[in-house]
Amino acid sequence: MPHTSAPPPAAPHHHNSLTRIGWRRLRRDRIGFAALCIVGAYLLLALAAWSGLVASHWQDEVAHPYAPPTLFAGSAPHHLELNAADIDAADRRATSAAALDGSGATGLSADEDPLAADMAAAQQQAAQYRGAEQTRADSLPLGADQRGRDVLQKLLQGSATSLQVGIAGALLALGIGTVLGALSGYFGGLLDDLLMWGYSVFTSVPDMLLLLAFAAVSGRGIGTVVLVMAFTSWTGTFRLMRAEFIKHKGREYVRAADAIGAGHARRMFHHILPNVSHLLLVQFSMLTVALIKYEAILSFLGFGVGVTQVSWGAMLAEAPAELLQGYWWQMLAVTLCMSLLVTAFSLLSDSLRDALDPKVK
Amino acid sequence: MKPHALLAVLAALLLLPAQAADMNKVLRVALNAPETGFDPAKVSDLYSSTVTENIFDPLVTYDYLARPAKLIPNTVNALPAISADGKVYTFRLKPGIHFAADPAFKGKRRELTAADYAYSIKRHLDPAIHSPWSFLVDGRFVGGNELVKAAGKGALNYDAPLEGIRVLDKYTLQLTLTETNFNFLPILAMPAFGAVAREVIEANRDNTNAHPVGTGPYLLKEWKPGSRIVLEANPGFRKLVFNATPGNDPVDKAVVQALQGKTLPQVGRIEISVIEEEQPLWLSFLNRQLDISGIPQVALQSALVIDPKNPLKVRLTDQYARQGIQLQRQLLPEITFHFFNMQDPVVGGDSKDRIALRRAIAMSFPVSEAIAGIRRGQAVPMNYIVPAGVAGHNPAFRGAPKYDPAAANALLDRFGYRIGSDGYRTRPDGKPLSIELACGTSSTDKQWNEYWQKTFDTLKIRLSFRQGKWNELSKANHQGKLQMWGMAWGADYPDGENFMQLLYGRNAGDSNAADFKNADYDRLFEASLKLPHGPARNQLYDAMNKIAVAQQPWIFGDIRMRSTLAHRHVKGLKLHPLLGTSWRYLDLQK
Amino acid sequence: MLAYIVRRVWQMVPTLFGVMLLLFVLFNWVGGDPSYILAGKNLSAEALAGIRQQLGLDLPLPQQFLIFVKQVLTLDFGTSWSTQQPVSALLHSRIGPSLLLTGSILLLGTVLAIGIAALVAYLHGSLTDRLVTLIATCAMSVSALVYIIAGQYWLAFKCGWFPIMGWSDSTLDNLLHYLPLPLLLGVIVGLAPDIRFYRSCFVEELGHDYVRTARAKGLSEPVIMLKHVLRNAMIPVVTSLMMSLPYLMMGAMLLETFFGIPGMGKEVVMAVERSDFPVIKAITIYIALATMLFNLLTDIVYKLIDPRVQLH
Repeated sequence: MPHTSAPPPAAPHHHNSLTRIGWRRLRRDRIGFAALCIVGAYLLLALAAWSGLVASHWQDEVAHPYAPPTLFAGSAPHHLELNAADIDAADRRATSAAALDGSGATGLSADEDPLAADMAAAQQQAAQYRGAEQTRADSLPLGADQRGRDVLQKLLQGSATSLQVGIAGALLALGIGTVLGALSGYFGGLLDDLLMWGYSVFTSVPDMLLLLAFAAVSGRGIGTVVLVMAFTSWTGTFRLMRAEFIKHKGREYVRAADAIGAGHARRMFHHILPNVSHLLLVQFSMLTVALIKYEAILSFLGFGVGVTQVSWGAMLAEAPAELLQGYWWQMLAVTLCMSLLVTAFSLLSDSLRDALDPKVK
Repeated sequence: MKPHALLAVLAALLLLPAQAADMNKVLRVALNAPETGFDPAKVSDLYSSTVTENIFDPLVTYDYLARPAKLIPNTVNALPAISADGKVYTFRLKPGIHFAADPAFKGKRRELTAADYAYSIKRHLDPAIHSPWSFLVDGRFVGGNELVKAAGKGALNYDAPLEGIRVLDKYTLQLTLTETNFNFLPILAMPAFGAVAREVIEANRDNTNAHPVGTGPYLLKEWKPGSRIVLEANPGFRKLVFNATPGNDPVDKAVVQALQGKTLPQVGRIEISVIEEEQPLWLSFLNRQLDISGIPQVALQSALVIDPKNPLKVRLTDQYARQGIQLQRQLLPEITFHFFNMQDPVVGGDSKDRIALRRAIAMSFPVSEAIAGIRRGQAVPMNYIVPAGVAGHNPAFRGAPKYDPAAANALLDRFGYRIGSDGYRTRPDGKPLSIELACGTSSTDKQWNEYWQKTFDTLKIRLSFRQGKWNELSKANHQGKLQMWGMAWGADYPDGENFMQLLYGRNAGDSNAADFKNADYDRLFEASLKLPHGPARNQLYDAMNKIAVAQQPWIFGDIRMRSTLAHRHVKGLKLHPLLGTSWRYLDLQK
Repeated sequence: MLAYIVRRVWQMVPTLFGVMLLLFVLFNWVGGDPSYILAGKNLSAEALAGIRQQLGLDLPLPQQFLIFVKQVLTLDFGTSWSTQQPVSALLHSRIGPSLLLTGSILLLGTVLAIGIAALVAYLHGSLTDRLVTLIATCAMSVSALVYIIAGQYWLAFKCGWFPIMGWSDSTLDNLLHYLPLPLLLGVIVGLAPDIRFYRSCFVEELGHDYVRTARAKGLSEPVIMLKHVLRNAMIPVVTSLMMSLPYLMMGAMLLETFFGIPGMGKEVVMAVERSDFPVIKAITIYIALATMLFNLLTDIVYKLIDPRVQLH
């Protein structure tokens, strides 16, 4: 469960001025601004990876399995890494040795094979599909994984996925929480009772169970991860928004909107929502951080992204196996990369909260 | 201590069989997955069996040292007399074997009799028990089907006479089979057919899983499901002295040197922890919190020096060899394979274009590369349906097609699986081609999936994965909703029939997960059932393997090599292909 | 007060009903069919049908739900489908280790977090404050998974300061021997976010007018900090603490798996894996009850901390 806390209640302000003041304050806050720049850089990188500009070939096996980082090529553990040819050779020797009459291995003969003619023809026509054997590197800037893929490329691609998952999950959770919270707080009455009932039911069921259950229905992949995270994280926003809407619906500016004939939807989302949007911004950045970390745990539990995608969680899930063999680079690279973003995001949340706090003059 | 109390203790000691087990000798081992319980008629998982095998005594068992595995009498005087037609098996029990003490026996010592075996075997027929092993006994015994039918959905009438399972006298059991079968004995050596006492089962009717009482060397002392199991030496265990003549094998020599003339078991207490994660398992062994352990996949590289010329030839790394750690190796009597749903409209069927599709996928799956990468070379490619170490194996047979993705692509071209404008192949009738592969959710599954993705990428066929828990997938497969899925099948007993039946048409939808139905195969299989193990049956097995290779309902996977480590102070260890544990033969010298 | 408690307890009934409904729908829809596990290698149609009948899975759904209601009312969930052990005995053996682990993490973590947070809040704006905040922020940016994997590998294995894993029947043995490392790692994972949160609560309180008034009255700083600020800041602290309790029971799942602690988190994952519905039902209902009770307790504690709080 992302751990979020409600910021202090805000007095009604006009949103434009608050945003502008907030932006000015953020510019002055050096740490906050630096954090914003880092987050921005990650976003750009993620966009680049997402659009295929960088790291689109992360699945290519460009190096030997577990090739070390270039700087540590001397000190890295050197285990023997077998390849398919070794296994094939041993297998051929074993079956020929076992052939009783010394004539070599037996098996399906051509006249017993329904496809014999086609198999022979296919051998002739196979040339067009044979590619050149690629050379593999001995070391890479950040090393390689078990299949010989570049950890740097994986890291870039993984950043894109993890950010995408974190942001999409946070937006969805925020969306659910805000809409339900707004309805509940604004209308009150029976609808409020009903939604509060749903809220208390959801908060009473352990996340782990919801997670296992949702994951079972919706298959695996990015979509599921986002859905699962949203379904288990909307409750904090719901409670916050409900309280805000209860507070704001009685305010003068809302009553004034009523007087000029604005409908419920317009009052809720055009008048009240902008006045609480600063809370949502803070909530959003905190949720994104929590969900990026949450994704790592989900991947470890086997609910992560599929093999055609890579995320930080998927990379961390490989870490225990690698660490036992002394291959530390993937875990270190992911941990550092993830820490930098998460730290920057957390600092940004703090700064945003300060900058958007209407009480501070 | 008061004098009369002392006398009582002395008297008790004289009454009991000479117990050799030293309660201070504590063996600490781990299970890799949680067990489910200890009622032999209710559990079928490997982990529960490692425990039940030490509590219950089957009629026959395996010699500890002999290879290939050799059946020897356990609670009987000699291997049973089998009638000339291969239908009647007669067992003579050893007198004087007793069950471990239990309140259900009301303070009396309870002797093991032929009736106990009759009862224990009948339990697998009982519709109220739902034994996972009932397929081994259903329809096997004369009159069995009628008795089961009479029970309906209720409990079996154990007291009704049954022609197929008869108690001739207190110590004589006669089993009469409906069909000739010279290979039935290994089934009776399974821990599932160990003797239970009817009083104990009836006294604990609701919870037989937690009350295993047998005649074996150990008894259950403590059970925390899914976490910890403690066994203690059975003080009433019959006197069993180790006696063997070693051959030239150095392991055999060491075992005999450690055990010759000693009363079994030597270890007084066995503490079993359930450890599912590889890191804590491996680190616990290295830290001497465990005495014996397998080598997890991830630690193979750091523990073994592997010869690239022959990856199965390994030695322990110097670091561990110096600590006196012992390494033992064993090719598992099991196979792994991926099957196609033979009733599926895309991948199933016996028309040439479907065979070509299956063949092309089989030719493009890099088994050897996966063995090198995932198994660290500690496996061999599977080439025959019956694995090595099981009667009927043919080591010279090469069933897996040669890895050749280029030729596989050309083969698909020939059968009209054309590459479309999007870069993916279509079916011969022009419809889009997409194949779904079922798989589990563990990290090892993910590693395999990467090789599968590569396979389908080189063939330019769309692939999707259907991840799920084992029982969900099993259900989906039962309903014919899967296209491809991977399985492992371990020998329940070391006879080829246990493996060849996996493609038998009448087992379709049951153990024949591929739903493979081939009249020639079925005819050969039925003929093979009537033959004892030997060249005649092997010939039939070869012919059946050729059908499986030609039709390609399976993609052959690999056969794993198990590496087991033990610390220096563990004596008497030798891995057995069929006995799950060696605990009763171990000694600890700290 | 009593009337309030009675009303609140009464309000739990619909929530509990909702939890039961959600659970029932979820697991009948997606929980998987346990008969396929129990049947082992024998997947014949009769065997599967027989098992389903024995488990009561062939009954109509409304009837199954009524049985569930009865189980909740009597708090007797029958026996586990996979091991056939009484669910009550199973939970009984799991709750002790869970409470010991999570209780000690919570206790130690909270004491440390409040202490450090109060100190840095007191030094608000100083270099120490900024440094501690930054370290805490960095520390919480590392995945819990990394702490556990690396902690077990280096602290227990490489340095040999702790056993790799294990659990004993004796509480003392656990406290001295097996608990310290998981406790340490659990505290490290939870400490950083707590420090950040508590610090912001304290800083918030320090900015209030009453603190200025107290200072003007000439009260010493420690007195202000302890008597006024801490007391008032306790409300959000207690809320977050109480809210986190039930989650901790489940959240320690990773620690339990890696350190072999037989707790509830591990049990529930195992139960889901085996489609062991009675165990899932029991654990969920107990955790839901605990969550609701702690919510109530939180409100009562508010009242005790600050008599001005009105209970609705």
